[in-house]
Amino acid sequence: MKKILLSSTLCAALVYGAEVLPVEKRTFDQSKFIPDISLILDASYVDRSVKDDEAGHLELPGVAHGLLGSHSHGDSNHATYNANNGFNLNYAELVLSSSVDPFFTMDGVFHFSENGVEIEELFFTSNALGYGTRIKGGKFNSNFGYLNEQHHHTWDFADMPLVYEAFLGMHGINENGAQIQWTAPTPFYLMAGFEVLQGENEQMFGNETIGDVENPIAEGKDGPTLYVGYVKASYDIGNTTLLGGLSYAQGESRINHSADEENPHAFSGDAKLYGADFVVLHALDSYKSLKLQTEYLARELDGTQYALDSDANVIGSPAILKKQDGLYSQLIYTHDKNWRMGVRYDTILRNDIKTNGATVEQPSNLDKYTAMIEYHTSEFARFRVQYSRDNSMFNENGQREKIDTIIFQANISIGAHAAHSF
Amino acid sequence: MKKLLTLLILLPLTLLAHLNIAVSYPYIGALTKTVGGEHITTTVLAKGNWDPHFIIPRPSLIAKVRNADALIMNGAQLEIGWLPPLINRAGNPKTSPNTPTFLNLSHHIELINKPSEVDRKDGDIHPDGNPHFHLNPENILILANVIKEFLISIDTPDRAIYEKNYADFSKIWKEKMVLWSQKMSDKKGLKVIQFHDNLAYFNKAYGLSNIGTIEPLPGIPPSSRHTIKTIELIQKEQPCCILHDVYHSTKTADFISQKTGIKVVLMPHDIESLENIDNLASLFDYLTSAIK
Repeated sequence: MKKILLSSTLCAALVYGAEVLPVEKRTFDQSKFIPDISLILDASYVDRSVKDDEAGHLELPGVAHGLLGSHSHGDSNHATYNANNGFNLNYAELVLSSSVDPFFTMDGVFHFSENGVEIEELFFTSNALGYGTRIKGGKFNSNFGYLNEQHHHTWDFADMPLVYEAFLGMHGINENGAQIQWTAPTPFYLMAGFEVLQGENEQMFGNETIGDVENPIAEGKDGPTLYVGYVKASYDIGNTTLLGGLSYAQGESRINHSADEENPHAFSGDAKLYGADFVVLHALDSYKSLKLQTEYLARELDGTQYALDSDANVIGSPAILKKQDGLYSQLIYTHDKNWRMGVRYDTILRNDIKTNGATVEQPSNLDKYTAMIEYHTSEFARFRVQYSRDNSMFNENGQREKIDTIIFQANISIGAHAAHSF
Repeated sequence: MKKLLTLLILLPLTLLAHLNIAVSYPYIGALTKTVGGEHITTTVLAKGNWDPHFIIPRPSLIAKVRNADALIMNGAQLEIGWLPPLINRAGNPKTSPNTPTFLNLSHHIELINKPSEVDRKDGDIHPDGNPHFHLNPENILILANVIKEFLISIDTPDRAIYEKNYADFSKIWKEKMVLWSQKMSDKKGLKVIQFHDNLAYFNKAYGLSNIGTIEPLPGIPPSSRHTIKTIELIQKEQPCCILHDVYHSTKTADFISQKTGIKVVLMPHDIESLENIDNLASLFDYLTSAIK
C-alpha cells in the first residue's frame, strides 16, 4: 500500500513538475485576457483660404451651419476635424475589443482629443443566435447607407462628403440603441437590418425639450425616437464586386440653436431621411483596384421653426417644410501597397424650403470638388494630401465664399492588426 | 411529372445530407474535398492567384460563410486582415472560433521562423511563425490527417468513408513525395533569393537555402537602397535564382535579374495561382520542376 502511495506521489511530481515555481511567478496573472488594443492618431496641417474666425460663421444656406472651424456651445468648445489653419490634432482613437463569453463580443472605440474624451462606440454583438442573425446593443454607428458605419480614419478623404456632413453632422448617425441584422441564406449577399435608436443627432434628429421645462419653446418626447431600416445586396461578376443599398430613417426632430449669438432659432417636427448607395470595385490584381462609390441622400423636415430674440423669447413660429437632397460620387484608384489617389464630387441638388406654404428662395449650385493622393509606408501609416474647392458656403451677408483648402493628413496606428471590411 | 416531383422533393434532401464546408484558401479546399469525397461540398473564399495576406473582403464572402456548416482556415495570422470581419458579419455560430465546427490548421503544425521578438519595426511579421506551411509536402499529409479527424468529429457516421479516402490519398501522396525528392535531390544546398519568404517550408523540405528577400522587411515594398544591397549580395553569394510569387509585380526582380544575370523563376503558392495548376499534386509537380 505504502509503495503504491509513494509511486503515485512520484508520478504526480513528475507530471506536474517537481520544481516549485519561483516566487515572482506565483501570481494571479490575467495578462492573457487583455483585449485587442490599437491606438490610431489622426493629425493634420491645414491651409484654408478663409481665416479661422470667419470659417466658423459660414453656412450652407437653409441646410446647416458650423460645418467648418470650431465654435462654442455654452461652456463646451466643439471643434470639427481639421478645424484650424495650421496644425490640428484631430484625435487619438483607442480601440479595445475582445470576446466576452461564448455568446458575445464587445468593442469600444474612444476618441481622445484636446477637448476631452468621447465614446465613439461601445457595444456588444452576438452571433450566437444563428440563422444569419446578428444583434448589437450599446452606442454605435448606424449601418444606414455605406459611409455612415465607417470610422473617420478609414474614409478615402480627410473630410466627410458634403451631403452627409450637412444633413447629419461629422459623426453621422451615431446613437445609443439596438440593432438586428439578418443575412439571407442566398448564394449572393443579401442583408436586411433594423435599428431602434435614441435619436440625439444635433443636426437632424432629436427629442429634447427646447427652452425651459415650465414653459418650453418646443416640448420634448421621451426616447427612443429614431428608427432606421435598410436592405443591402452584393453580387460579383468576375473580379468586379457590385454593392447596392437602400436605407430609410425616420424620427423626431429638434434642432436647438437658441443660444446662437446671431439669429437664435429652433426647430421642432418630424424628420425623414432616404438613402441609396452604390459601390463598384474592380480588382486589377491583389493590390491594384478601381473603386467607384456613390451615395444619394434625401431628407424631409416638417415642423415649426421658432425665431427667437436674444432672451430666447419666441418672436415668430411659422410652419416650415424642407425638402433637400444631394449626393457625392468618388473614384479611388489604388496603385499598389504604397500609392492611392482619388477624386470626389459633392453637390446639394435640391434645397426647397417652404415657410407657411410660401417658397423661400435659396441659392443653387452648391457643390464641392476634391482630389487626394496618399502614400502608405506600411499598412499602419498613411500620409495624404488633399485639395478641395468648396462652392457651397455663404457668409453672414449671404454672399458666396469660395473656399480652397489643402489638408496634409497623417494617420498612424499601433497595436492590434486592423481587419478591413468592404 | 411524377419524376419531376420526386426529383424536387429529393433535391433538397440530398443537399441537406451534404456538409458545406467553407475554407479560406484553394489548397485547403482541395484537401478537404479529397478526404471528404462526395459527402461534402467545399466553398473556397480566397482566389488562388491573389496574395493570401490581402483578400478583398467582398460581401459575397459573408454569404458564403453564412451558409457554411463548418469553417477551416490556415491560421497563424495569414487571414488576420480579412477573415475576422466576414465571420463577425455572417451571423453563423458554426463558423465562430472555439466551436467544434471551426478548424485552425496552424495549431497542428510546428511553425518555423517564429520571431523571438515581436515588433513592427521588423515589418508586418507573423508573431506565431511563418504561416505558409502547406508548401512542404510532408505537412500536406499531416493536414490531411487533421482534416480527416475533423470531419469524423463533426460527421461520425461517415467515419469509414473519410478514413478510406485519407488512406487512399496518403498512399498516392507518399509515392509522389518520393518522386519529388528524387527530382529535387541535386538541388540540395542551392542558394535562392525570394520576394517574400513564402517558400520557407518548401526550401526546408528540399534543402534550399534562402539568403535574402527583395522586400526589405515582411510587408514592406522594395526600396532602391535595399535593391542595391540585394544586387551586391547576389554578386557575392551567387544564388541560383530568384524564386518569385505570382501576385507581386516582378519589376524589381527583373531589374535585379538584368543587373546580375540570375533567372527569375515564378513559383506558384496555391492551386489556381497559375494556369494548369488545378490540384495539389500538380502544384508540387510544378514547384519541383521549376528550378532548372
